Amino acid sequence: MSLLFRNRVVEKGAQQQTSLPFWRRILMIPVHHLQQAVSSLGELWRNPIASLMTVAVLGLSLTLPSALYVMVKNTSQIAGQWQQASEISLFLRTDASQQSVATLKQQISIRNDVESVQWVTKQEGFEQFKATSGFGETLDYFDSNPLPDVLVVTPAQQARTPARAQALLEELQQAREVQMGKLDVDWLSRLQAIVDLIQDVLAALALLLCISVILIVSNTIRLNILSKRDEIVIMKLVGATDAFIQRPFLYTGVWYGVAGGVIAWLATQLLIWWIGSAVTNVTELYQSQFSLSGLTVGEMLMVWLVAVALGLIGSFLAVRKHIKSIEPEA
Amino acid sequence: MIRFEQVSKTYPGGHQALSHVDFHVEPGEMAFLTGHSGAGKSTLLKLISVMERPTAGRVRINGHDLNTIKPKQVPFVRRDIGMIFQDHRLLMDKSVFDNVALPLIIEGYSVQEARKRVLAALDKVGLADKYRHFPMMLSGGEQQRVGIARAIVTKPPLLLADEPTGNLDPKLSMDIIRLFEEFNQVGVSVLIATHDLGLIARLKYRTLTLKEGRLINDGLEEQPA
Repeated sequence: MSLLFRNRVVEKGAQQQTSLPFWRRILMIPVHHLQQAVSSLGELWRNPIASLMTVAVLGLSLTLPSALYVMVKNTSQIAGQWQQASEISLFLRTDASQQSVATLKQQISIRNDVESVQWVTKQEGFEQFKATSGFGETLDYFDSNPLPDVLVVTPAQQARTPARAQALLEELQQAREVQMGKLDVDWLSRLQAIVDLIQDVLAALALLLCISVILIVSNTIRLNILSKRDEIVIMKLVGATDAFIQRPFLYTGVWYGVAGGVIAWLATQLLIWWIGSAVTNVTELYQSQFSLSGLTVGEMLMVWLVAVALGLIGSFLAVRKHIKSIEPEA
Repeated sequence: MIRFEQVSKTYPGGHQALSHVDFHVEPGEMAFLTGHSGAGKSTLLKLISVMERPTAGRVRINGHDLNTIKPKQVPFVRRDIGMIFQDHRLLMDKSVFDNVALPLIIEGYSVQEARKRVLAALDKVGLADKYRHFPMMLSGGEQQRVGIARAIVTKPPLLLADEPTGNLDPKLSMDIIRLFEEFNQVGVSVLIATHDLGLIARLKYRTLTLKEGRLINDGLEEQPA
């Protein structure tokens, strides 16, 4: 592109054409990008210690949020499992007749939002209590059984969320035979609240770490730029645009991200594998079949994408500020 | 080709490097620019290559007012000017070939396309067999010729040289000047800044003499001082 000599080729007569035709120029853009991408990779290779440090910082900074994310994901799964077990206990009036209780059980069991109803008679309840409470013999001193009959209602799948189950409870309490109903939903809400809290903390932490990654990459690229000051001056003297000069540095940032993303995967998987056995021990004590699930392919891609984006943003901040400020002054 | 219209340049701090400089170098002309150190030679060249902007007046190249050139357009101005420096300004970690190819790569040539032209430029300066060498392996005169090859590889219509013979002995200096004469003969305008008055005296070219920022002589240098 000639600015001062628009007809440079014509003016100089028989000389060979200086500028490339437009389509050729367009065609060369991807080729150039590829060349510069490869050459900045080679640049990293030639300076492995410094680039490895930046890559490690980038990768490890992303490991913490992604490992925490895996934890939150698994906790939500557990919470989901427990939520499914929610059931409603209806304590019946002691004066309710066997007949009416049977009718009530029938009525409840044909509801759409109820999966099953179990009738625990006062005698069965007493035996269960004796067996599990640990009071054992002491209970024999009671003259009469103080427990009421209980209907244990398991809500249907669609009625198992805390809110729906609560609504169901209130409806069932209306029945004449029911003294009171109980749905232990509070601890579920609390667990949900804790999971939400951890998620918020996670988001804040991830944001802070991402910002620090950007700053670290930006600083590394800045040092890179300053160490190539003379080269940049020469390129500017022979007519390189800022865009041309900054491209290799941007690619360096992208490569940092690519390598940092891989480190983040490895470290996250390692961490999960390490914690996994401990978690299995804990869950076995609760007789629960639960295995820690790691990052899915989609989530791994996401981590990678974030790493590359952070590398690119960091290098972009550095080149925008510093390439412009280096000017030839000889 | 290069026209200075009442150009003054005052640096921040008050040092006046050029005052009311007025001259015109015709297309296809070859001229020397001389004067003592600090007379304003470098400033004048910097104004042409848009490394500095004039405080007052106007610099025109091929009729284009450089004051109207936006910062984003500066690289494109420099592509039209072949520049040669006293300290060569070569990339020391790149081969001679890569150094000379740089302006073409910047313009968007592939290495294969640039190859023929790079080798032709190196042939012209007599270094065709050293394209694989690194600048460190070359003598000062050879490094300077690499710099010249890089300046002419894009076939610019204008060549600027800042003390191109600075550290060279008289014979090598004359070789370099002969090289410039060859380019001048195919129509390239050449402006050479030098304080080597002996060299200028042996050649009969137009000489612009600066003293303390003023143009005190324009024409043939009569008496080498």
